[in-house]
Amino acid sequence: MIQPQTHLNVADNSRARELMCIREAVPNTPLERSEVITAVIISTRKELKRDNGMIIRYDDNAAVVIDQEGNPKGTQIFGAIARELRQLNFTKIVSLAPEVL
Amino acid sequence: MISDIVNVILCLGNCVLLVNLRRMRLEKCWFCSSTVYPGHGIQFVRNDAKIFHFCRSKCHKNFKMKRNPRKVKWTKAYRRLHGKDMTQDSTFEFERKRNRPERYDRNLAENTLKAIKKIDKIRSDRASDHIKNRLKTGKVQRQKEARKQLELGIHLVKAPLALAQDSSLCLPKIKAMCPKHRQKRISPWKSEIGFAVPRLGIFVHQNLMHATRGLNYQEVFYVVSSGLEF
Repeated sequence: MIQPQTHLNVADNSRARELMCIREAVPNTPLERSEVITAVIISTRKELKRDNGMIIRYDDNAAVVIDQEGNPKGTQIFGAIARELRQLNFTKIVSLAPEVL
Repeated sequence: MISDIVNVILCLGNCVLLVNLRRMRLEKCWFCSSTVYPGHGIQFVRNDAKIFHFCRSKCHKNFKMKRNPRKVKWTKAYRRLHGKDMTQDSTFEFERKRNRPERYDRNLAENTLKAIKKIDKIRSDRASDHIKNRLKTGKVQRQKEARKQLELGIHLVKAPLALAQDSSLCLPKIKAMCPKHRQKRISPWKSEIGFAVPRLGIFVHQNLMHATRGLNYQEVFYVVSSGLEF
C-alpha cells in the first residue's frame, strides 16, 4: 500500500535513488534532490489482484520517474514490472522493461 | 514470452487454457509441489524476476520463514529427496513444461483429455506400488521381531489346555436371566397372499397358512421344506 511518506525504490537510471510519496499525481519539475517529481509505481509489496484470480506480489515498492506525458525520464528500467502498466498506457515503460509479469 | 492473445491450447499434463483472452497455467507450488489452480494461491516476484508460485498461505509463510522445502517433511521435495516417493518414471515425461503453444485441434484435445486420465491412473498406481514395496521390508522385520520375542518369552505364554484347567486364570461362568422385554421379538409380516418373516427367510403362502397354523417357526420350516403343493 503506497501512501504519502512511503519510500519507494527507483527502478530506472534517472539519477533519483529513492522517492517518498507525497501525493498522487504531482506536476513535474527538473530532477534534483528533494525535488517534487512524478513517478509511476511499477511494483508493490502489497498483493495485486487480477481478474483471472491471480494474486501477485513483488519484493519491493519501486517506481519509475516520468514526465508530464508519462514517458520515463531514464533510459533503462531494472527489475520486473506489473502488467497493469500496459493497460494504463505506459507503453514506453513497458517496452523498456526487462520483464513484464 | 508468449503473447496473451492466443488460441485455445491444451498441453498434456501442463494445462494451458484460454479464459478472457489471457492464458492460464496449472503451476506447481514452489514449496510443496502441489498444483496451483487458477484463483488459488499467491505469486511472488523476487527482484531478480524469479517467480515463486504458492498454493496456499501455509507454503507462502514457510517460504517467508526461509525454510528449505527439502528439509520440511511434508513437501514433495523432501519425499523425493529421501526416496519416500517415486522419483523416476516415464509418466513424468508427459508433465514436462512446454512453452510452445499448439494450434487448437479438436481431435488432439480429445485424445489429450483421455490420455491425461489414463496416465494419471498409471502414475498413481506406480507411485503406490513404490510405497508398498518400500514398506514391505518393515513388515518382514516386524514379523521377525515378533517371532523372536515369542521365543524369548515363551515361558510367559501358557498353553490353552492348561489355561482351561487352571481355574484361577479363567473368569467363572455365570448363568443370567435375560429380561423378557430384552428378548428380541421376531414379528411376522402379514400381507394378502401370505405372511413373511424376512429375518428368518420364511414366506408362507396363504394356501399353506392353514397347514402351518399354530406351529412355531421351526415347525413351519419343516412343513415348508417338505415341499407341499399348494
